[in-house]
Amino acid sequence: MHIDELERYWLIAVSVTLGVFTAALLASVFIFGVRLPSPVGRIDPTDLANTEFAEPGLRDMGNGQYTAHIVAQMWNFMPREIRVPVGSEVLFNVTSRDISHGFFIEAHNANLMLLPGQIAQVRVKFDRPGEFHIICHEYCGPGHQNMFGVIIVEGPATAGLSE
Amino acid sequence: MQAVQLPQRSSAPMVFPRVGMLTSERWLIGVHIISALFALSFGILMGPFQTFRRAPAFVHAFPEWQIPVFSYYYQALTMHGVMNALFFTTFFIVGFSYFVTQRSLQRPINQTMGWIAFGLMFLGLGLILYAISTNQANVLYTFYSPMLAHATFYIGLVLLAVGSWVAGAAIFMTYLAWKKEHPGERVPLAVFAIIVNQIMWQICTIGVAIEILTLLLPASLGFLFVTDVQVGRALFWFFGHPLVYFWLIPAYVSWYTMLPTQAGGKLFSDSLGRVAFIMLLIFSLPVGVHHLYADPGVSAVSKGIHTVLTFVVAIPSFMTAFNVGASLEYAARKRGARGPLGWLFRQKWSDPVVVAQLGGMILFIMGGFSGLINASLTLNIALHNTAWIPAHFHMTLGGAVTLTYIGITYWLLPMLRGRALFSNKMALAQVWTWVVGMLIFGHGMGTAGIAGAPRRTDVGMSPYLNETATFWLNSSAIGGFVLLISSILLYANVVGTLAFSTKPYDYEPPIAHRGDPNSPLWLERWGLWIGITLFLILIAWAPVFVESLNFVDGFNAPFFNPARPSPITP
Repeated sequence: MHIDELERYWLIAVSVTLGVFTAALLASVFIFGVRLPSPVGRIDPTDLANTEFAEPGLRDMGNGQYTAHIVAQMWNFMPREIRVPVGSEVLFNVTSRDISHGFFIEAHNANLMLLPGQIAQVRVKFDRPGEFHIICHEYCGPGHQNMFGVIIVEGPATAGLSE
Repeated sequence: MQAVQLPQRSSAPMVFPRVGMLTSERWLIGVHIISALFALSFGILMGPFQTFRRAPAFVHAFPEWQIPVFSYYYQALTMHGVMNALFFTTFFIVGFSYFVTQRSLQRPINQTMGWIAFGLMFLGLGLILYAISTNQANVLYTFYSPMLAHATFYIGLVLLAVGSWVAGAAIFMTYLAWKKEHPGERVPLAVFAIIVNQIMWQICTIGVAIEILTLLLPASLGFLFVTDVQVGRALFWFFGHPLVYFWLIPAYVSWYTMLPTQAGGKLFSDSLGRVAFIMLLIFSLPVGVHHLYADPGVSAVSKGIHTVLTFVVAIPSFMTAFNVGASLEYAARKRGARGPLGWLFRQKWSDPVVVAQLGGMILFIMGGFSGLINASLTLNIALHNTAWIPAHFHMTLGGAVTLTYIGITYWLLPMLRGRALFSNKMALAQVWTWVVGMLIFGHGMGTAGIAGAPRRTDVGMSPYLNETATFWLNSSAIGGFVLLISSILLYANVVGTLAFSTKPYDYEPPIAHRGDPNSPLWLERWGLWIGITLFLILIAWAPVFVESLNFVDGFNAPFFNPARPSPITP
């Protein structure tokens, strides 16, 4: 099969570029530690009362570490608001009670699908004080556009504002 | 050697008029193109109104503004997605594939099968229009479980799929009969690509057929009450990514086999075109998990494998960029273009058929690069389900594919009617408003997405939108307005051509009757390519299904009507 010389160069350039992209992605995972949502466990969505999600909320694990359990349902997050001091690291365990929802924290690398039957997990460090919305980004019925939560990161800048 | 001599079948090729159509051709292809434009008219008009609904400035300026369907965001969005992405495309692809196959191979498509296929698909269209317009199917075009729509929605989808299978079978039969009569000959590149497209389609629709027939349809009829949402999503995206190549390949057929002639030149390389199509067949199926990067039930290893394969499936598109680009350069230099880049500007800017395809390519550059960003699994965390995603696929599906289909319509519709296009100027204005509108819309949506605006959300009144996202969503409504003008120009020209055009039709469609004899014949060893495809599917998808199926508890997620926060119980 005849391949034109210029086209051969083009194909090599394209392959090298895509190879560099792949290497950059591998670096983002193995060197910079970006984590993707991965299976952490299953749950019966009709029986959350008998699971770790029976009482959703924030737990202080000490040393600036927190664990949050959040339940998404049509059309709110439980709990709706979380307060943590600046510099803390929160391990979010999230699931859905009914249909699919989304979990997106503004200005932070947290982006999860919440599916009934699956526990989704993400670890987020809050370095900046401020109010960040948790947005449900997966269509979940007519109230979808009003489904959100808030993470208040309290620090030197907002300490005076909070009650 | 056969002992009994069978009566020799006539192998005289069917003769098609050079300009104009046979009656059988006009009817069978005509109903598909008209049905496609009918479906598109519902979908295309919803689009601009959704950009208005998503613009906080607009919603605050006109809080009382309510038009049935148009203003009910999720109903309109379901209509927009289902009509544009599933029905317009499928009707158009089937009609166009029949046209190209018949004309290239000079053999008719089996008319009975063609009409049965059309009947099934058209009935499906009717049922879906009923389900969506009566507000019983607000499940968007991805119809994820455990949200449930009315049964007519799923039956409509099944009829569309089965109809397209029958159409595919009719195309295969025509090809095989041609092959038998022309041993050792290369099939024309256009038909080669259409065969690739149909093989891919028959394989990928199995995923969505399983999802609908075993989960969604039984549930909507009241026989099933639990499901597994992760499995449903995996089945959908087994189908969902090849679906985008099902749309793209017919556009590539036009770019590879028609545009070079329309632009005044010839195709640079027939063989590498074939290689690109074979790569699209092999690599469009084992990549669907790139839609599931944020899903909790799929392992990071599977996500990584699908990422690499997604980069591989970008290669045939880069090859297409070179091949089609070189063909356009050749055509322009023949007309006297000078300098290294002079050919870019020396195109046939007065021919709407050419300009529509070039406009599609301009948008496809944005679509291709944003697609590579989406495919990058860790970058995707910043973008999954934000407005960036629809910005991306309005450059690919809404840009490259739709504009190319519109370009094809600008010669095919006049050919069906036997009259020239109503207005070339209107068509040119339509194409450029489409390109500009899509760029404004896409830039606004993409930037708002990076700022955190979610996709598929009626965000005009949302309490959580930040200022950056609000500003750019408002700007994308301007794009929506330009696109509304473009859509009106498109339909004015369609109606004008069908009803008011008086000029005679004198355009000969560029159809090749044979393939390049220098192209390697092994590229037509379909058994080999299908085998490799199935092998890659097994490697890439088996782990996904094994890890997402819950072998311990079975299905345990109840179904829901999206309007009510309580499960559907027996």
